[in-house]
Amino acid sequence: MNARAIVIGAGVDALVAAHLLARAGRQVLVLDEGMRARDDEGWVLPQIPHELGLQVKVERQEPWVTVPLPQGGALELWHDMRRTVEALRRLSKRDAASWPEFCARMAILARLFEHLYGAPPANPLSVGLALRVRRLGRQAMEDLMRLLPMSVAELLDDWFECDALKGALAAMGIVHLQQGPRSGGTAFRLLHHHVGSPQGVFRPARSNLGTALRARPGVEMRNAKVERIAVREGRVTGVVLAGGEELAAALVVSGADPRRSLLELVDPAWLDPELVRALVNVRCRGVVARVSFKIAGAARMVIAPSLDYLERAYDESKYGRVSTQPYVEVLPTENAIEAHFQYAPYERADGAWDAGRRSELGELTRRMLAPHVPGIADAQAQVLAPTDLEAQAGWPGGQAYHAELTLDQALWMRPLPELARYRTPINGLWLCGPGTHPGGGVAGASGFNCAKAVLRRA
Amino acid sequence: MKRYDAILIGGGHNGLVCAAYLARAGKRVVVLERREQVGGAALSEEVFPGFRFSVFSYVVSLLRPEIIRELELPRHGLHILPLESTLTPLPGGGKAGNYVAQWSDHDQNRRELARHSLRDAEAYDEFGVVLHQMARIIKPILRMAPPDPASLRPRELRDLLRLGRFFKNIGDKQFNALWKLLTMSSADYLDEWFETEALKATKAASGIIGTMLGPRSPGTAYVLLHHYMGELDGVFRAWGFAKGGNGSVSAAIAAAARSFGAEIRTLSPVSSVLLNNGRARGVVLEGGEEILADVVISGADPRRTFMGLVGEKNLPEPFLQSIRRFKFRGASAKVNLALGELPNFTCLPGRGAHLRGAISISPSVAYLERAYDEAKYGEFSRRPYMDIVIPSMLDPAMAPPGKHVMSIFVQYAPYNQNGGWTDERREALGDAVIDTLAEYAPNLRSAILHRQVITPADIENTVGLAEGNIFQGELSLQQMFFLRPTPAWARYRTPIEGLWQCGAATHPGGGVMGASGRNAAYELLGERL
Repeated sequence: MNARAIVIGAGVDALVAAHLLARAGRQVLVLDEGMRARDDEGWVLPQIPHELGLQVKVERQEPWVTVPLPQGGALELWHDMRRTVEALRRLSKRDAASWPEFCARMAILARLFEHLYGAPPANPLSVGLALRVRRLGRQAMEDLMRLLPMSVAELLDDWFECDALKGALAAMGIVHLQQGPRSGGTAFRLLHHHVGSPQGVFRPARSNLGTALRARPGVEMRNAKVERIAVREGRVTGVVLAGGEELAAALVVSGADPRRSLLELVDPAWLDPELVRALVNVRCRGVVARVSFKIAGAARMVIAPSLDYLERAYDESKYGRVSTQPYVEVLPTENAIEAHFQYAPYERADGAWDAGRRSELGELTRRMLAPHVPGIADAQAQVLAPTDLEAQAGWPGGQAYHAELTLDQALWMRPLPELARYRTPINGLWLCGPGTHPGGGVAGASGFNCAKAVLRRA
Repeated sequence: MKRYDAILIGGGHNGLVCAAYLARAGKRVVVLERREQVGGAALSEEVFPGFRFSVFSYVVSLLRPEIIRELELPRHGLHILPLESTLTPLPGGGKAGNYVAQWSDHDQNRRELARHSLRDAEAYDEFGVVLHQMARIIKPILRMAPPDPASLRPRELRDLLRLGRFFKNIGDKQFNALWKLLTMSSADYLDEWFETEALKATKAASGIIGTMLGPRSPGTAYVLLHHYMGELDGVFRAWGFAKGGNGSVSAAIAAAARSFGAEIRTLSPVSSVLLNNGRARGVVLEGGEEILADVVISGADPRRTFMGLVGEKNLPEPFLQSIRRFKFRGASAKVNLALGELPNFTCLPGRGAHLRGAISISPSVAYLERAYDEAKYGEFSRRPYMDIVIPSMLDPAMAPPGKHVMSIFVQYAPYNQNGGWTDERREALGDAVIDTLAEYAPNLRSAILHRQVITPADIENTVGLAEGNIFQGELSLQQMFFLRPTPAWARYRTPIEGLWQCGAATHPGGGVMGASGRNAAYELLGERL
């Protein structure tokens, strides 16, 4: 039997898994399918650099968010609590007064999730989890129970009155999700994106984890497209590449999404029909387009002026239309800016994504940003529609998190209860992508947990 | 002066149920009702001469069978007539046959669904089995007094452990299935089963009733279960219509309570809870009369109970805060019609069995979602979701011979209607309802003899339900079980010693179930009376 392990994909999760397996003495081959999104976003589990001996640089921008205000000027939120309170006071005294307590209460809950995310999903009925939750104390327990099923709009309405603040925070509840801020379960997502950030910061950090992993020696990398995963008698025997070449392996760890991994790469005949049906029902609707402009020096900025604004943007997408007033988030890179455009539904009611519709979306983005980004009028734009993101980044249906991160597809339910512990019913085949716990928006944690599970099993 | 063991504030069905159980245990109980008749929102009234209506709530679906049994409600006049079908007319031309129906007869139902989709006809049975199973699992929860998960008291810990064991015992598979139901949107949940739009929409509609959420909003799938709870109890068909209207449900419970010795005083509005050293000693009526008792149990909603009857100054601030953020957000209206003749639906003309069941205006999930979209921004739906029954088809005594009464439940009509609810807007809502319905049954307009439109503001004013929420507070996940109405006070107690709550704003709440009243009574009897 071949002791080689094959890792499908070269995203952050796949690379973390690959290097952890290699460190444990496995001979690892990474098949880089060339499908890669920007992978510098998300909290880095401290165990990852620690165990791999990596120097990971976490970049924290100041201010962590800039929100243009309708009356001109901008609301800027900082790592420094006092500075944020100062900025808020100009808009609302009440919100400025509420901010520190809101941040403290959210941080307590985020700590709980930090713990939960660094391990395979806990059984919701385990005594250990129950005790850990109880140790949070009454206030935090109540917060947790109330907050999980809540809509982010209700949560923020409980605390704040300033539209700009609520919009900027609510954006983290709906980012990459086919739901609006008034949909249940979105408060949990605000918390999810808060995990790993300092108190008072509600945007995931950026790091060089992906770059550092690619530079790290120890695993063999090969550019190749996987055609299928070979299975014999319920056991993985290797993978078959697009050209027909067969690579033997007793262990295959797939960073591809659960549906592709199990229904496309594996012959579904190996699976229980109930599991196949459940996999088909895993929701992964893409709602995001990416527009990049060749222009330097813009600030990180969010266009999400109010809860109603976001909700209206969502309303259109429910009927397969692109938001005419979208939620836009600007991420500056070295000499360009990348705009996150939401909602751009994967399936448009009016037909497929073609060149005309792409450029229409690009121009809309340009118009939206023009008041805030000088010089954008002449900058060259490149648009990636959800369908492009599917093809280029391997996002199924254009969904960045591979499976929508909603309460029924999170934690021990991610992507499905039967697959939540990274093992599949096929012996030797494991899942490590963001479609598994803890999932998208957290860099490498799924890969970390998966590799640990593989090694424990061995 | 006569002294009671317990005073019930409010003669709604939960208050009456609670009173009946306490009286049955030998307690001296008095129910104080503000209006001239008991029943709260479960009320029958002759709104127009000769035409009787279940003015607000209009079907009996969830009334707990143990209550019917233990209080011997049939002996006290409760008679439930089953609703056998649901008809969903489809838009577009009004061709005959352009509808989706669900029948209680299995074969008929299968044939009907197969007309639209063979797959759905297959899936329907399996769906029913799965939801039945789930409903059976959840039933014991309805009878439970929710423990306080943060408490260290031995009794709470014991109950928590029991609850943990309960969930362990149902097995991972069922637990996960239940979790899905609790956290998914009804649209997503039904997408996993069915493909016929109107079927999905009609089922999804049950998940949005009484709630300011759309069918695509997570948290709406759970209420699908309620339908299967009603149908569960073979002994007595609990999904139907009370003979004489929903007022006869209240009347039967009141009669049962009286037979056990409870006193019921109508036209006795309570103005405040009498406090002595921070403890409830009784109540003061609006006329100034004081009535004393060992415990006071409020069946009113938490806003009225705490902000109104107890008074903010007598309550701790954190508690007040949690009551303030309790969501009411009434979303539904009611239109009651007196008809000179039956509506004639173009999709299924004539006087058929379909008129003896429910008629649901819910042609697609997108239709419901659009209706919600308008309400989100403070406008009532121009083309609303409607759930319609014609009680006079089942109980001819509801209307003069040859004439009929029609009850239309309408959603969405937001309590916070932009500009407020004026007479003009109330009529505009009525017009929108009639216009929409007339597209399916063109003779409706000329058949109408009288029309009564009830907005959420009207519900608040007449029945006293805060913001007109029919469940005394939204039945969303963050307001359920040990969070209903507020954490730490979900066990029917309140921060005021001797003051208890038993309304639908406590677990399990909503839907003329009576379980809140029964649970509160048991909790009280177990602890102090």
